Amino acid sequence: MSLHDSNDPFDDLMRRALAEEADRVEPADALPEIRARVRGRRRPPTRRPWILTAGAAAIGTAAAIGAFTVLDDNAKNAGDDQVAGGPDTTTSVTGAPLSSAPATATEPSAAPTAPAATSPGATLAPPERGKPEQVVKSAVVPVYWLGNRVGTNRAGEVRLYRTWAKVQGRPATEAVQILTTKEPGDPDYYSVWRGARLNSVTRSPGLITVDFKQLPQARLDAAEATVAVQQLVYTVQGALSADTERVQITEQGRTGTKLFGQIDSSSPLARAKSNDVQALIWITSPEEGTSVPTPVKVTGYGSAFEAHLNWRILDVKTGHVVAEGPTRTAEAYKFTPFAFVVDKLPPGYYTVEVFESSARDGRATSTDSKSFMVR
Amino acid sequence: MAQPAVVYEEDVAHESSWDADEALTAVYTAHYTSLVRLGALLLRDTGTAEEIVQDAFVAMHGRWHRLRDPHKALAYLRTAVVNRCRSRQRHLVVVDKHTPRSLPDEPSAEQAVLRTVETDRVIEAMRTLPEKQRTVMVLRYYGDLSEAEIAETMGISRGSVKSHAARASKSLRQLLEQTV
Repeated sequence: MSLHDSNDPFDDLMRRALAEEADRVEPADALPEIRARVRGRRRPPTRRPWILTAGAAAIGTAAAIGAFTVLDDNAKNAGDDQVAGGPDTTTSVTGAPLSSAPATATEPSAAPTAPAATSPGATLAPPERGKPEQVVKSAVVPVYWLGNRVGTNRAGEVRLYRTWAKVQGRPATEAVQILTTKEPGDPDYYSVWRGARLNSVTRSPGLITVDFKQLPQARLDAAEATVAVQQLVYTVQGALSADTERVQITEQGRTGTKLFGQIDSSSPLARAKSNDVQALIWITSPEEGTSVPTPVKVTGYGSAFEAHLNWRILDVKTGHVVAEGPTRTAEAYKFTPFAFVVDKLPPGYYTVEVFESSARDGRATSTDSKSFMVR
Repeated sequence: MAQPAVVYEEDVAHESSWDADEALTAVYTAHYTSLVRLGALLLRDTGTAEEIVQDAFVAMHGRWHRLRDPHKALAYLRTAVVNRCRSRQRHLVVVDKHTPRSLPDEPSAEQAVLRTVETDRVIEAMRTLPEKQRTVMVLRYYGDLSEAEIAETMGISRGSVKSHAARASKSLRQLLEQTV
């Protein structure tokens, strides 16, 4: 323990002060609750290779947090790879370009009748579950993640952040697979769908059905659960370019599971208004953890009061602000692009933050951040 | 601060036969409080620290068949807790610089126990540190971890631990001397 073999009074002071501070915290007994949560989970004795992967990559925090979130909720993911209509079946192609997919909706199978809202328990889904989505040669699909929204009074308010992924085969199926099995590139983002096991995505007119072998087990508070459900709705609709079609979530063909312990899924879910769930600022470049040449061009999307955003660059080592300034989105109040260039950054590690200063009190709100290296 | 790291030493022989439930109880009994305190020091929010630590225990139980060793379990828990706390903290720090007053004030405004002036100064000074430096200091002085353990817990190199610790110590010494 080479760090602390000194008798330096500073070391003593630090130890004493932190111990005293810590001793002020007396947590209540939580063992019964932890036991109850543990009992609530089914645990097949399967190995979970993705945990190994995530654990090994746990430099910094992203991977470790991702792994941890999953572990937390799902001890049973071994079957992730064997998903109906998985990527390997898609090499030959029926070739409908993505854009046309939603228009050529499948034949009219009876849309599920109105939600059995009165029956509280799990009910059998309507027998017509529509047709599998179109297979495409390749498509770039939006994938949404959760991230904390800073600068609001409510701690832990989460919002949706979008990334892009190139997929082939069935776009919505692939996009959901990313939510359930992959790490987001940015450590600030996460997916509470991680660990769920997708069965299929099918479409009938006006309705997309996403069937899981196993839904996520996480229990969230109502606000986070709402956004978490929209994470799936946005991702699926985005992949199918079908923003107006409702999304029915089922587990082994059954409806009615309470998603995340909160959200009634007995009826199809509609897309929430973007202002209610979507982050107001997204940085799209530089991407997290990449190295870039100087001058550094920062781009993204934002929705801001009078189009006005602020940015700053922090030196990761010192935490000091080394550059800052204003920028504008293309249009006020609308989710539109912004871009600015930062020059004279010496090689090193930086974090860029883009935020809106609150009109009320000047606080930084809606911040999105990316860490990058200048070569 | 007395992290009860020695609890298991005499018991090594039969602990490996613990099943997940037994391990949960044992490790909980030995470490729950200190892990919550660790989280509370990192986050300055006891409620969130409790949640994070409980999540970590549930996760640990789920992977006991791979850990099978209370020491590994503790290391796993610590890493899980620190990572989760850091992720929350990074956002808070950004907010903090703009709005120190908008944050929940200290671990527990509701707790009547007052700090000594000395502790108060140290905790205030710690607040000015960047997130990584503060985490290193908490793990070093509260967690009583070695450089190598801190490096492993935070997923950074030992060299980085050293430099974060050096910078943090320098800033803190300056601050604390000023305010004497």
